[in-house]
Amino acid sequence: MNKQLQQIIHIPANPPVSPTRQPTEKVYASLIEPKHANTIIRRLNQIAPLQDLHHLKRIHKKQIQGGKPELFVILCLASENEQQSNTMPPDVEDVVNSYNLTPFVTEVCKHAALSKEEWEEQCKLWPTSYHPPTYNIHGITGFSEEDSKSVFSFMKSTVELAKSGDHLIVNAALIVDPLVGQIIASACDEVCSWHMRTSKAKTETCHFKQSEGFTSDADANRIATNKTLLSNGSSKNLQQCDTTVCCLNPWQFTRQSLDTSPCYCHPLRHAAIVAIEASAARDRHLFPGSGNSEKLYEVDSSPSGSPAKRQKITLENVKNGGEQDVNTEGSNTLTRPYLCTGYDIYLVWEPCTMCAMALVHQRIRRIFYALPNPEAGALGSVHRLQGEKSLNHHYAVFRVVLPELEFTAER
Amino acid sequence: MESDNFAYMELAIHQAKLAMESLEVPVGCVFIKDGNVIASGRNRTTETRNATRHAEMEAIDILLEKWQKDGLSKAEVAKNFSECVLYVTCEPCIMCAAALSFLGIKEVYYGCANEKFGGCGSILSLHSSCSEPSISDEVPQRKGFKCTGGLMASEAVALFRSFYEQGNPNAPKPHRAVVEKRVE
Repeated sequence: MNKQLQQIIHIPANPPVSPTRQPTEKVYASLIEPKHANTIIRRLNQIAPLQDLHHLKRIHKKQIQGGKPELFVILCLASENEQQSNTMPPDVEDVVNSYNLTPFVTEVCKHAALSKEEWEEQCKLWPTSYHPPTYNIHGITGFSEEDSKSVFSFMKSTVELAKSGDHLIVNAALIVDPLVGQIIASACDEVCSWHMRTSKAKTETCHFKQSEGFTSDADANRIATNKTLLSNGSSKNLQQCDTTVCCLNPWQFTRQSLDTSPCYCHPLRHAAIVAIEASAARDRHLFPGSGNSEKLYEVDSSPSGSPAKRQKITLENVKNGGEQDVNTEGSNTLTRPYLCTGYDIYLVWEPCTMCAMALVHQRIRRIFYALPNPEAGALGSVHRLQGEKSLNHHYAVFRVVLPELEFTAER
Repeated sequence: MESDNFAYMELAIHQAKLAMESLEVPVGCVFIKDGNVIASGRNRTTETRNATRHAEMEAIDILLEKWQKDGLSKAEVAKNFSECVLYVTCEPCIMCAAALSFLGIKEVYYGCANEKFGGCGSILSLHSSCSEPSISDEVPQRKGFKCTGGLMASEAVALFRSFYEQGNPNAPKPHRAVVEKRVE
């Protein structure tokens, strides 16, 4: 039934662990007298702090049916493979002796819970605290109604791009500046219809269409304006012979041993790659100045950056006046972004490894996809690039569930 | 054979130097088929403002355009790639390694490892083909390629070092100090 609802699901950096299989750690615990609780805890926090186990509550209050609640306390960590009497630090043993405690070994969860489900399961062993992430990229903690609306709307536009009639025939990509609801670039797979010249001409057309959008600066109907832009600027009017979604089956090219038709194909022109190219072309067009570091801002590189912060920087530039790049139409509110920093991309299908890494390189901030790519997807299906710690940039990944799309895809 | 490898890698390093002269992160490559250089490429990420324009992608586009102009069929293009050997000064990143596997390239020699983004063993191993049997016939197995690292690695590292010592003038302003790895 859930599938019938529109929803946005965050795809985390770590593969989900079954809540019942979280790693545990052994600790010494003991029943204590409630009247000693404060003193004992204060003492234990001094002599045996729970260093890497801050998510654990020191006290466990057990409600016994029909009786008074019982209080248990964590004394200290218990190392594996050793007898309990030998491993307790002397200071803790003093506490045990002075309060006549009877220590026992019990299991607690080793890591802080990442989800409510994990937390509920942890508390069955020993109570822990749970802090939903609040520090990260906008959207991980949920979307406001307004933001959700915009996400669904952009995703639906992306799906329209990928459709021919009722069928989804290619992958499509939409790069969006979420701050102003502006479409930066749109593209479809071009693995079969690629031709250098056509492709370049199209990019140019695309610029000018986009530029018109900038001059009519009204924020109010931005999205509506963009929809018109989309239908004009999309590759729909071009010869469309792509009939497979290349991110789903990126190795198909190597199997063309029988295809003797002339090669107008470029096996790597997946929608995301083409969209990145278009956004770079737009950047060069709007900000023709050299790549001088004086003018190249990285306005929002930290994962904690918020749209609000970006806006502030833009406003500051306006106040300072003269310093910032201006676009050819004379709008002075545009700050040249560093690559796609701060931008979102919408894709019908979860991108393949090549596209997912291209989006890391281009510094996309959030990826929204509608359908998973179980055989070749790199955002949770086969690989999980958003969780590769060594990479120099990390985006947040969301799946946007559109009920009508589930239906289309199944057909 | 061995000396050929060095000669080809010298050409890749020459490309990397050209990149550096254009204030680009110094990475270069050459594609070899039947013992001949058929394309070369250098990193152009800064000039294009497209961070995916790595040396490998540049050279691949040159090849596809050339073969298209020559009127080659899809089958012929696929066959050509399967006979190509790539020499690149730095381990292909995850994106490029995936691309090379999609094209079905025969073999790759690289200079230094790419410990942040490497797709041929450092972070992911996209060059090694999948050992699991294919579940369905419709989705082909990922294709692997032979991959050898460490060919003239010190030369490649020296280029990175001198590039970052002179300071990357294209780096965005508030940027933490860059280490001598490939950052594009």
